[in-house]
Amino acid sequence: MTMLFTLVIQLLHRVRKLLLSAAVLLAGFQIGLILQANSIQASNSFSKMGDLIPAFLRDILGPSFAMFLTFKGIVCLGYFHPVVMGALVSVSITIATIPVMEIETGFIDLVLARPVARRWIVTRSILVALISTVLLLAMMALGTWLGLTKFAVNDAGWPSANLIGSLAINLGLLMLCWSAIALAIGCACRRRGSAGAIAGLLALTAYLTDYIGRSWKPAESIAWLSPFRYYTPFELVMGSPLPAKSLYVLGGIAVAAFALAYLLYSRRDISH
Amino acid sequence: MLSGSAAISIRGLTKRYGALTAVNRLDLEVPRGEVFGFLGLNGAGKTTTIRILLDLLRPTSGNAAIFGRDCQSASLKARSAVGYLPGEMGIYSDLTGQELLLFLERIGGNPVSREYRNSLTERFELSDRDLSRKLREYSTGMKRKLGLIQAFQADPSLLILDEPTEGLDPLMQEAFYQLLADGRSRGRTVFMSSHVLPEVQRVCDRIAMLRKGEVVLLSSVEDARKLASRRVRVAFERDVTVPASLPPCYEIIDATPRNWTLRVTGQLGSLPSFLVAFPVADLTVEEAGLEDVLVRYYRDGAA
Repeated sequence: MTMLFTLVIQLLHRVRKLLLSAAVLLAGFQIGLILQANSIQASNSFSKMGDLIPAFLRDILGPSFAMFLTFKGIVCLGYFHPVVMGALVSVSITIATIPVMEIETGFIDLVLARPVARRWIVTRSILVALISTVLLLAMMALGTWLGLTKFAVNDAGWPSANLIGSLAINLGLLMLCWSAIALAIGCACRRRGSAGAIAGLLALTAYLTDYIGRSWKPAESIAWLSPFRYYTPFELVMGSPLPAKSLYVLGGIAVAAFALAYLLYSRRDISH
Repeated sequence: MLSGSAAISIRGLTKRYGALTAVNRLDLEVPRGEVFGFLGLNGAGKTTTIRILLDLLRPTSGNAAIFGRDCQSASLKARSAVGYLPGEMGIYSDLTGQELLLFLERIGGNPVSREYRNSLTERFELSDRDLSRKLREYSTGMKRKLGLIQAFQADPSLLILDEPTEGLDPLMQEAFYQLLADGRSRGRTVFMSSHVLPEVQRVCDRIAMLRKGEVVLLSSVEDARKLASRRVRVAFERDVTVPASLPPCYEIIDATPRNWTLRVTGQLGSLPSFLVAFPVADLTVEEAGLEDVLVRYYRDGAA
């Protein structure tokens, strides 16, 4: 256990700058969104913005769209804005591809020449992926809490803690899912650049597939393949409970990809 | 069955990468307490063999063991007895030298004596100030010294060193040879690959020479040198002519009326009787080096 703890600490030390800067940026973004929502609320502009949208367009976009013309909707946007999701998935991929980078640079030779089992390297990466996910989401939640308590007016219609928690859990599982996929890809690659590029392109393809599938009927038939399909912020903001199916699917993909990573890493040649 | 008494025991080891055979049916045994040199040109299969011993690479067939423990099925136990210096130190440059040594100590599983480590840092002239610097600020030589310290710090029973003096200045090379001599006197086994033949000649008890993944020579350093041809320079008191026929294993490389340079392979016992008919003024025999053996095995393709 001491060895595993040492490996986890070493990897956290390695990614500390990335994690801390991402955490501060994301927390700051949440506060920024609250300031923005506050400003719109203060000028009573939410209803004016709604009035600007033609009725036919409101019908097409559905009631979930109207929800985003509220204080709560703007605050929650910080948990599913494409830039935020892109940043979180990028951080996940960056951390998950470190094992292949260690092979590429030869650092892992010094580690595995000692009595360190290969499964501990994968376990270490999974633990760091979990810690990073929790840290980033906790910082986002902290940013939301700070923004609400310090800057928002009390009658602005705050999102409930339960809603923020549901969004964070669903988003966290999505991050873990991409960590697992990137880790498995990394365990099969010789170069970190290749692993990162493959994982990144796969994530982009999955995101676009889900995006198109949400608004274009023919694409729905393949949209279920995208992990992003199982992140449902709109429904959550509308008041739906956290769907168990989404959690099972995202959790299932993560577990399967982590298992594949163990298998690939235990069988591969460590050569650079 | 792998020998439990040997430090390293390799049987029929083969590693293929597609059509390329990096190591081919390698058999090797390194007894405990020996300093063993593993020689060969680039791509001969030295590093591949070392990486199989450390379970970094998986063999296509055959097996290897360290102190009787199979390097694949009991790799953790096998590696617990090893100190390893890679040919290229892939280090994480955001750590300090001290942090790297501590990290490797913690995952090493064997206790590190502070006293011993301090003696190593003193020997390699790495001060506390040097150790507190980030590794990105280290020169090539400093990285090599740190690599040697991390390999030796737990005082392992077996040291596997890949090109250990690469990048070290002559003073530090001398410090390394001293360290090796100390280790040998305490019964440590050393398995080192090297291109530096005078170094191998100086520190190793036995050598194996690899060519295209196969051992082409396995012998003591002394025996290996005997295999090489020696140069004999002969100066004459007056002009002489080169005889039409020379004894077997004699070859004239260069000849002027008063000076010959001969290449003699094997024993020199017949040299006096060959030269007795000539007015010899002076005679110089150049000791054969491992370079000559290497040349013989690589250039001349000796089997």
